[in-house]
Amino acid sequence: MSMSSEPILQVSNLTKRFGNLVAVNNVSLQIPAGEIVGLIGPNGAGKTTFFNTITGLYTPDEGRVVFKGQDITGMPPHKICKLGMSRTFQVTKAFTEMTVEETVRVGAYNRHGEDDVMEKVDEVISFCGLEEIRHQKCGDLGLASLRRVELARAMATEPDLLLLDEAGAGLTAAELAELMEILRKLNREQSVTLCVVEHVMQMVMGLCERIFVLDAGELIAEGTPEEISNNPRVIEAYLGERAIR
Amino acid sequence: MRIKATTFNRVLLGVLLAIALLIPLLIRTNQYNLVLVTTVLLFGVLATAWNIIGGMAGQLDLAAFAYLGLGAFTSGTLLIRWNVSPWIGMILGGLVATGFAVLVGFPLFRFRVREVWYALTSSALVEVLKVAFVMWEDVGGPVERYLPYYSFSLYHMRFGTYIPYYYIMLAILVIAIVVNYRIGRSKLGFYLRALGEDEDAAEILGVDARACKLKALMIYAFIVGATGAVYACMYGFIHPSFFSGARSTEVAILGIVGGMGITYGPLLAAVILVSAREFLRASLGGQMESLYLVIYSVVLILIALFRPQGIAVFFRDAYRKLLSKVTGDEHVLRANTPGI
Ligand SMILES: Nc1ncnc2c1ncn2[C@@H]1O[C@H](COP(=O)(O)OP(=O)(O)O)[C@@H](O)[C@H]1O
Ligand SMILES: [Mg+2]
Repeated sequence: MSMSSEPILQVSNLTKRFGNLVAVNNVSLQIPAGEIVGLIGPNGAGKTTFFNTITGLYTPDEGRVVFKGQDITGMPPHKICKLGMSRTFQVTKAFTEMTVEETVRVGAYNRHGEDDVMEKVDEVISFCGLEEIRHQKCGDLGLASLRRVELARAMATEPDLLLLDEAGAGLTAAELAELMEILRKLNREQSVTLCVVEHVMQMVMGLCERIFVLDAGELIAEGTPEEISNNPRVIEAYLGERAIR
Repeated sequence: MRIKATTFNRVLLGVLLAIALLIPLLIRTNQYNLVLVTTVLLFGVLATAWNIIGGMAGQLDLAAFAYLGLGAFTSGTLLIRWNVSPWIGMILGGLVATGFAVLVGFPLFRFRVREVWYALTSSALVEVLKVAFVMWEDVGGPVERYLPYYSFSLYHMRFGTYIPYYYIMLAILVIAIVVNYRIGRSKLGFYLRALGEDEDAAEILGVDARACKLKALMIYAFIVGATGAVYACMYGFIHPSFFSGARSTEVAILGIVGGMGITYGPLLAAVILVSAREFLRASLGGQMESLYLVIYSVVLILIALFRPQGIAVFFRDAYRKLLSKVTGDEHVLRANTPGI
């Protein structure tokens, strides 16, 4: 059963426009349940817009999003979260006046009532290694901690699919390694499907079983890390930006 | 022997409540001072209720006296026309204000009218209601409508002295604080604080921002509307001037100066600022009455510059230090207890 590649998310012909700009152009892809997949592409390729459209922050202009067999196109984000999808943000959206514990608690209320919400909070805080900063205000935290808190609060909603928007950006090599360890553990132990948007190739290549490549809103390639790094279209897209590392 | 933090909190609360209960007895011969302390309590109630929509949910509501006026007119009209007791009028006034809040909040939150737009819309509401009630001759009109006079009637909530109004206001204040405190520690409170900071981030975590904001607005409107019934009895008449934009703004200012989202912050601000205002009014006379607005502005600027989190934070930190000394417990220094 664990080997079955029943897709948890099916996106078909998704298009999102901003005026004349087509930020996401007719993208179709499937994310198999239980996997870690990557979504890469140069700056402005439409990765964040793709996430925003899937999670309900934007309504798509065309196309359909099916999550766990249910059509969620145009659904508000909180309902999509209830169904089991959550995400982190590229530009962190911290609850600056709340402590780390309180922030995680907001997420934990998604599936828990007053009687057991703190158990969930404790579990997530220890899973993400946030014990030491648990009572600090998010507004006082550095970028690495903030990204970890965003991951923790999203995890606390107990998603089946977790979308990470450049969770590794701005982290040191050590912090990055730690983050990747947490993500692997999350995927292995709690069988959460992960979709990571990354600019840092090293992280995607080390983590993902399958990679999708966006360029100028279009899906230009899909495959294993090996296949992707040898794909001429991908190399071309990245060379244009001189971002390949 | 060390004292436990909770014990210390309780004792302090008890002492404060005892003082509040004794105040009218100490100044009972001075009607002016009674009006002053009752007014402080009134604004304490309004600002404490405002904390739910403004402080926690982060919606800059400038319509407190719209809800207050609706409650006052509902209860006042029921009393004048049909001799309905204001105690029932309080509930009905609260419900009318809540109903109105739904009418306003539903479309505003549905179409994600946010921040400055919400502030402007709510502010305009007060003026719209004032005009509407001036024109609505059956209930309002340009002339005051007096409530029947009784030197002491519990049924009519009419008294020849301010003392009973003081106690009624105090009771409502206690209720408002308890409601605030409870919400602050519940799922709704966490959801409100989250969406107040970042609506998109909250939604992604499963928060139905629209429903939560509407709930907050309804609770706030009910408390303020019910208070309006007492307000009408206290003044002895109802008049469209109750719908005051300036006073509504003042409530928001108290909430902000006190410290957004801190249970007792708005009350603290009301005690300090409303006392100062009334004192100035008394000592400077009628022609200088609006000078208090200058004081408010100066205080606002000072707070914005030096204590953007509000004065309550200052008191809280000092109190925590004291508490950790008294109890020898370092835990109380941590920032994880909302409202303390
Ligand atoms: N809210 C918006 N309004 C208008 N244009 C936008 C908006 N969000 C993104 N864009 C544009 O859409 C394109 C894709 O952006 P984005 O999704 O952020 O790319 P990526 O995350 O891959 O770097 C860019 O050209 C960007 O300028
Ligand atoms: Mg992006």
